[in-house]
Amino acid sequence: MMILIIGGSKCGKSSLAERILEGFSGDKYYIATMQPYGEDAREAIARHRKMREGRGFETIERYTDIGGLVLPDGCGVLLECMGNLCANEMFRPEGICDPAETIVRDMRSLSARTALLVIVTNQVGSDGISYAPETMEYIRILGTVNARLAAAADCAVECVCGIPVILKGHLPC
Amino acid sequence: MILITGGRGQGKTEYALHTFQFSEAELTDGGLCAPEAALSARCITAYHALVRRLLADGRDPVAFTERLCTENSDAVILLDEIGCGIVPLEKNDRILREQTGRCGCILAARAETVIRMVCGIPAAIKGELP
Repeated sequence: MMILIIGGSKCGKSSLAERILEGFSGDKYYIATMQPYGEDAREAIARHRKMREGRGFETIERYTDIGGLVLPDGCGVLLECMGNLCANEMFRPEGICDPAETIVRDMRSLSARTALLVIVTNQVGSDGISYAPETMEYIRILGTVNARLAAAADCAVECVCGIPVILKGHLPC
Repeated sequence: MILITGGRGQGKTEYALHTFQFSEAELTDGGLCAPEAALSARCITAYHALVRRLLADGRDPVAFTERLCTENSDAVILLDEIGCGIVPLEKNDRILREQTGRCGCILAARAETVIRMVCGIPAAIKGELP
């Protein structure tokens, strides 16, 4: 089962994702895609680590190429977050590329190998600000990735002020 | 407590005025009021602006929001959603965006009813439409 959770900043996406995986009894992995550069990233990582404490997740830091990740069949996975993964795949030392197809393929293949895959992603296209072209391109690509993942997912949920608003399917909890 | 959220310009104030029959004088503007006035106001508009002003004064908006939930548990609160964009470059802007999100979660957890406005259309995402 693939579940996509989308929302803005601090809207309770992670808490919801962890709650969904709480009921999962098999091995649980947390794929952390945020690179620990800068004070904000380190604070966010520390906060999320604390939230997951004692919840039985094994943390895997993986910033790109989720398709190459080997995990035991039938496990539960929480991937957080697609916004970072998309940026990491897009802005490479050798230049900017469009990773939408690769990311969607990787997520489909991960979902096929796992019993439960919960993907946390970000809503970044609603601030109406005109950014530099590469940022505008990032917003477009992440929007495309989100749409394609929602199409592939069994359930898509938007988080608003901590409240899950179902966009597609049903939440298992 | 009733929380009405949604993006800017989605019809939150008009909906509150119409649904709860508030007079304009009963609306307390979070962008202008003395923060303590919010603790007894019947309806607080632009709560996100109050969060910004509290932060600018060096106060903790999360603690203030928790106090508001205790002291003014019958209030109708209007809050713009501001977190659905690119992470701001400025640290203070990032803090504002995150603290506004946290305050929204606190208000929603305490509210009996949460309404989200899109294009002037209210949707109850917690409880029932009044």
